[in-house]
Order: sequence, then C-alpha cells, then structure tokens
Amino acid sequence: MSDPEKQGAGLEAADGIKSAVRDFLRKALENSAADAVLVPVRTPAEDSYAWILTNDPNLLEKASPAAPTMPVQGAKALKSLTRKGEGTARVIAVMRPCEIRAAMELFKLNQVHLDNITLISYDCVGAVPLQDYVGDPAGSEERFDSMLEARKTDAAAVKPVCRICVDFSLVDSDVHIGLMGLAGESALLVPNSEKGQALLDTMGIACEADVSGWMQAVSELKAEREGNRSEALSATGAGLQGLDGLSATFADCIGCHNCQSVCPICYCRQCYFDSEAARQDPAALLDTAIARGGMAFPGNKVMFHTGRMAHMSLSCVSCGQCTDACPVSIPVADIFSYMARLTQATFEYVAGRNDGEPLPLRQFKEDEVEKVHEIVKGAEEEEAAHE
Amino acid sequence: MKAKIGVYVCECGPNIGQTIDIPKVLESIPKLEGYEDIELVPKSFGLLCSPDGKEHLKKEITENGYTHLVIAACSPRDHDATFMNVCKEAGLNPYLYKIINIREHCGWIIHDKDAATDKAIQYIRSGISRVLYQSELFERQLEITPDVLVIGGGVAGIEAALSLACEDRKVYLAEKTGELGGKAARFSSLLPRQSQGADIIKQKIEAVEANENILVFLNTELESSIGFLGNFEVVLDCDGDEEKTDLKVGAIIVATGYRMSDPGGQSGYEYTDADEVYTSLEIERMNAGGGIALRSGDKPGSVALIHCVGRQEKGYCSRICCNYMMKIGGYFKGHSEATQVTEFFFDMCLPHKADQQFFDKSVGLGIDFKRVKTIGLSGTSVEFTEIGGEQQEMNFDMVVLASAMEPPEGTEALAALLEIDLDERGFFKEAHQTTDPVATSIDGIFVVGASQGPRDVSDSMLLAQAAAGRIRSQLIPGGKIVPEVKVSEILEAYCTGCRTCLEVCGYGAIYFDDQKGISVVNEAVCRGCGNCFGSCPSGALRTKHFTNRQLFREVTEALK
Repeated sequence: MSDPEKQGAGLEAADGIKSAVRDFLRKALENSAADAVLVPVRTPAEDSYAWILTNDPNLLEKASPAAPTMPVQGAKALKSLTRKGEGTARVIAVMRPCEIRAAMELFKLNQVHLDNITLISYDCVGAVPLQDYVGDPAGSEERFDSMLEARKTDAAAVKPVCRICVDFSLVDSDVHIGLMGLAGESALLVPNSEKGQALLDTMGIACEADVSGWMQAVSELKAEREGNRSEALSATGAGLQGLDGLSATFADCIGCHNCQSVCPICYCRQCYFDSEAARQDPAALLDTAIARGGMAFPGNKVMFHTGRMAHMSLSCVSCGQCTDACPVSIPVADIFSYMARLTQATFEYVAGRNDGEPLPLRQFKEDEVEKVHEIVKGAEEEEAAHE
Repeated sequence: MKAKIGVYVCECGPNIGQTIDIPKVLESIPKLEGYEDIELVPKSFGLLCSPDGKEHLKKEITENGYTHLVIAACSPRDHDATFMNVCKEAGLNPYLYKIINIREHCGWIIHDKDAATDKAIQYIRSGISRVLYQSELFERQLEITPDVLVIGGGVAGIEAALSLACEDRKVYLAEKTGELGGKAARFSSLLPRQSQGADIIKQKIEAVEANENILVFLNTELESSIGFLGNFEVVLDCDGDEEKTDLKVGAIIVATGYRMSDPGGQSGYEYTDADEVYTSLEIERMNAGGGIALRSGDKPGSVALIHCVGRQEKGYCSRICCNYMMKIGGYFKGHSEATQVTEFFFDMCLPHKADQQFFDKSVGLGIDFKRVKTIGLSGTSVEFTEIGGEQQEMNFDMVVLASAMEPPEGTEALAALLEIDLDERGFFKEAHQTTDPVATSIDGIFVVGASQGPRDVSDSMLLAQAAAGRIRSQLIPGGKIVPEVKVSEILEAYCTGCRTCLEVCGYGAIYFDDQKGISVVNEAVCRGCGNCFGSCPSGALRTKHFTNRQLFREVTEALK
C-alpha cells in the first residue's frame, strides 16, 4: 500500500474538492473514459443524499462526490447495481474507503462484480451521523465543508467510528484522491491499479507529482489513530464481557433489525433471525425460561446480535451504518468493531484490504485451532482483569 | 395420530445388564415430563442384535404399530445399520428410529451404577425428543453406466482393463505416451522368478489389443471429468485428433505410475555425465539391449550398487529397490563371477515371502552387502560409514544408484481435475491406507499401482485387480445404485450465491447454477458430511436427518 514508487497527478481544487472531483468526472464522461458515474446526490428536499447512476452532466452538477453523511453504504448501492452480473456499461463509482472495503468483501462473496467498475476513493475526514444531518442539514453541510477544507476531522461532528478510523486513506481502489497534508486548494490523483492508470492515461493526465508529503501526513495520522482505536475498543470490550455484559449492552434493543438491514456485509437473502427456522416451539421456550428463571419476549435478543457477529464480524469494515440506524442509540458499530478486531486478528485477516485475500471461512489451516485457544485464553484473562 | 414410541433397552449381556439398572430405566420412561401426549412403551431384551433379538424386535414393531423407535444399546458404529434394516423389514421407515449409546457412553465409563443409570435415562430422553422431530426419508435408485475409464497404460492400468472388460462392460484405456506397457515393459526381467519382463508385458498388451471391449487411446490425456459413481462424464484429449472424445463411464481408475527422481539432484551425490554412474533404469535398458558395459566397452571389474538414494529427503522407502538392486547385482555376477559387487543400504526391505530366499541367494553369489549410516558419492568413489564402523572410502569402476520413486509430472493437475486428494508425499491418497487401499475420497474413483506410492509389479497387479473387483461389485451391468439418503439440500430462497459451500465441499457435490445464481447439491455425490451446512453464511443449507431442530431438541434434552 505504501509504495515508494507511487506518483500522483495534481488536482486543482481552488473551488473546493467536490467541485474538482465533479470536473474530473465530467471530463471522464466527455473523454468516453466511462459510460456513467455512480455518485451521491443531495435529495430535492436537501435533507439527505441518494446514490445516483448517471451520465447527465446537469445531474452530475448536483453530485457531491464527498457527501457529508452516508444514508446508504456505497457497497450496498454497488451491490444493487451489479448483483446479477457484470454490466456492459463502464461505471466510475466515487466512494469512501470503508465503502470500497465493504465492496471488496462483497466481491469475494460474489455479491458484486467489479470488472466494469472503476472505484475512486478519497481521504475521508469522516461522516456526519445521519440523525445529526437530518436534524440540521445546513449546519452539517457547513461543518463538513470546513472539515474538508481543513482536511481535518472534527471529532465532535463525525460518527464515533470515524474518530478512530485507521483506514481513512488509500484502499484497494483504482484511483485515490489524496487530501491529507495538502493545502486547501490542491489534491492528488493517485493511480492505484492498472485500471486506474488506464483511466488517467485516457484522460491525458500525467502522474508526475510528488506524493511523499501526502503519504507522510497519512501515516502520521494513522499512527495517532491506531492508539486511539485500541484504547476506545478496549473500553467498549470491557462492557461486553460475559452473557451479563452482553445482556446489559443490548438491553434496550427493540428488535427492529435495522442494524442488519443497513449493514453492507449482511448479504443474506433472508436473515436467519427473521426466518421461520428461528421460531421455537413453546415447549422449548418454556424449558429455556424455566432453566434461566425467566425469559424476555420476543426472544433471541442477544442471540441476534451475537449471531450476526459470528456471521459477519470477519468481514466487518467498521463503517458505522449500524449505529446510525439504531433508533435506541446502542453503539452497535463500536461493539462490532471490537469483535471484528478480535476475530480478524485470529485469522490474520483484514476485511476489505484487497480483492484477493481469501475469506478465512473458506480456508482450512491446522494452526487456527490453537490460535483460537490462545485468543479465548487472552479474553478470559482480560475478563478476569476487569473483575 | 398420536405418537407411539417403542423404547427398547438392550442388555448386551453383562455390558449393559450389569452396569445399568434396567428396571429403573424402564420404570422412569413413562414418567418423563413433557411427553404426556405421547405413548411411550419401554421394554428390555437380552441381546437385540442377535438373530432372536432382531426377529423379536421386528415382531414387536409390527404388532404394536409404533410410529417411532428408540433403541438404547451400543455404539451406532456397531449396530445402527442392523436396526435400520430391522425397521425396514418391519415396515417402519428407518429414519424414524434412533439408537442411543448407553454402553460406551454410560455403562462402560461410569463405575457408579446409579450415576450411569441416571445418565442413561437422560440420554434416552434426548433420543425420544429427537426421534419425534425426525422425518421419513426414502432411498432412491439411480441408473448406472458399467463402463470404466482407466488412466495410464502401464502394468497396473493394463491389468485393471483386462480384469474389467467383458461383453457388457467397455473399458477405455487412456495412455499419455504413444505406447502401452509403461516402465515395466523396459525391465529385462521381473521378480521374483526372473521371468522375462518385456515378454510378459507384451503378452498382456496383445491381450488388450485383442480384446474388443477395451478401447485404447494413445497420446491421450484427461481433459475434464464431472459426475459421480455410476455416472461420470469425461472428455479425453487425444493428441492429433481435432475432436475431443466425450465418454460416459461409471468409474475411473487412476494408474499413472511413478517416475524415478533425479539422483543428481540429491545432496551428497556428486558426479557428472562423464562418470560411470548410472541409474537402475539405465542399467535395465543396457541389459535389455546390448549388455552392461563401461563407456570404453569393457566389462566393469567392480561395481557399487547404492540403495536408498533420496530416501531421507523424501521421507519414505521406495519398497522396490532392494529387490531390483539384488536383481541387478545378479546381472553382474551372471556376466562374470569375478566381478566384485558391493551393495550399500540403509535398511533392507524384503516385503514378499520369496524375498528372503532371493537375498540369501544373492549373498550366496558373493555379493557384499554393507549396511551404512552415512554415504556419499564423488564420481565413482564411495565414502561411507558402516554401522559400528569407521568412515572409509572405496573406488569402483561403475556405480549404480537406486533413486527414489516419486509422483510423475502432472499428478497435481490430475488430482485437481478429479477433485481427489494427494498425500503429503505427493502421491494419490487412498481412502484408507490399511482398510480401503484403492478407493479415494470420491466414490467411483480408484487409485492403483505406483500412482498411490512406491509399488512393485506384483503389488500393482494386486491393486489393479482389487479396484476391478470393487467396480465389478458396485457397477453391475443393468444394475442400479442407491446413493446416500442423509444428504444436504439447499433452500433456494435463502441461497445468496456466495459459493462458500463449493469451496468447503470435499466431494465435489455442489455446483453453481449460473442461471438461477444459486448453489445446487448433487444428491448422488453428497455424503452428508455437513461441511456446507456448517459454513453457509445464509442458513440456506440443511443436512437431512441432522436439521437444526433435530439437533437442538436432542442437545437441549441431554443438557436438561
């Protein structure tokens, strides 16, 4: 990822980065480097954003390649576009790094097709929580624009997971737009794959700019965030230990399953917990109630969340959509990020790092059992320390 | 209809009779809580697996009209199949019965009779609970093709083809090279009776050519194979033919043999092409041709025969070398008794009954056998340490190396194509080295001869005939096969098409339906192992007879 040979091309951003990216996309369409673009566009009521697939320059004018908030995870939009196979149109999609990482996971799971998609990522300053945005669109726009201008995250303005995000920059996209460490009127176009290089070549963009300053700024921020992330996730983990910890954490859950329906990784056609198979016989429920001394209804509250952790934590990219969608303010994303860090470390896997890393579920390695034992032991020790 | 479950406790002689309080078990069963709506009929019997026991059980099932049956007895490994057959004969669907192991799990391991009895009751309760959730399953019959594809035209392949071909069974024999016979055809004699190797193989090849039920494809390799026991569809790529050959076969025999590893590649063996150092196969060719001689044309006065070349690096004994090196020693002594022949070996391998006699005879010929713990070669000079001796060096006119047998080129590709396993040495892996030596993890695909590890000609014949026997009993012309009943199934509405199941299936039993965008289980190939069931992220997979509900009920009751 930190390729010393990497070079970029300067991108003039005197009218702001959004305008510069719009110009770039328009030029790509004009040069027939792409047939359409997939970008967030502000809704007519101006209180949200939607993913739009378009080749209309007028509509593109309204696009916001870096939207302040993310009502729909980009990978989900990409999935709905390509789930049924490779399209014939060449599409450029501009997305946040976490959206592209989710797309990589879905690619491995055969849920998105990427042959005709060119992915453009950018240094992300974070996303405004959806409820904050809906409550105050104008103020949120202003706060987000000033973050973008300063290329600096305002912790109070963004989602909790964004504050501790370490994958805010270059991911496995085709072209990356570098912002960190650069002055407000400039940005860098960094080709990151053969496809990305071909796009820039077609558009006659030569890559001769030095990228070292940008890379340095990214790695410094990353190092700072790594520490914050470990600290924050450990604190989250402390409240989750044991069945009691889990029960207390999810006590307010109303069972709406919003977290599952907005999750880009939850790709099952029908969630087990919404299916007939999850319904239990009255006799079995009574057994459980008697064994525990009591049982809440509808059941499967903690089971739903732990089940979802078991199913998707290996692919979780910490995008924070689940927290955004929770009507009772459970910090779902923090909890899942904590679990994801443990499970992904077990298999030395990083969700969405690239499109070629095999999913751990499909690999059999003999030493994994031992590693799981070690992790369980570590978790037990951690739990003992908390007591 | 009200469920009526027969619950039979087998005394198993003293095994259960004396370790578990059977009257207490029988007494407790009708009192089980939560089963008031079900008629439970507890009974015991001396030995249910005996002919009397089976007859009694059959009569009981028929007369009492049980809807389900639970048998508390031994391990299902012992008698699950026995009681399933009794159910079938009595007209009860065998998947509505459950065996509970109260012998190994209770009686044998718990010395306190009361505790063992309590645990037995708990287990029986879980069995009763499970059996209520079991469903009837039905066997299906599939048409089969009795024809067989044999890959490899060496001795093993030829023998397999000859053992199988008959009026109603065609054998397709595909050979990669331009001629049949393999390596053994080049030996000038075959052990142990020193019969003329080439002649015997020649007779076999003539028999193959004369047999109108064997179709030989030379210069041919397997291009693709899909299917299962009784129904494989294979495509052969014959070099020179524009059209590929599509065949339907019921079984596939892999007889791709071995190759000799390059002794020049082994550390400690330093020599050049100019040195009088030869491999055993080169000597065989020389002997079958103009006779063994040095490059000058002279006969060698002294010869070193080195066994076990590459044995340590490979980590296995090649089994055939000791015998053929003694045979080669005999060639030299046959030419001239005065030739000084020294054989160096790490361990002597004499696996067949006539081998000891052969060894004694070789010693009698005046061949010097030296057991060594180290050996090195520099040109024709041998440096060695005998067991219990000092390091020394001897010079010879000629050196012959018995290098290790190894899997031939293309083995990995063929394994991938057939979806069968290789062992850690790179040879094809048998289903079980000791008890199932010619089968593979895929029903209907067999591995014979040196393709599964070092084998001599007689072993190769044996394995070829064994595989032929298996196929003859499994694929009777005009017959049908009954595939596994407890297979996986995919719930179409749930499958997201992520193909995780395809990657974890060890039997190639799942394929992807591109049109529907979902995975599909081929029930004829599925062995019901449950890998897919365990790994499906969408809950779209279910293994019949091991459904979530059945397992959940069983476990809940066992843990209550």
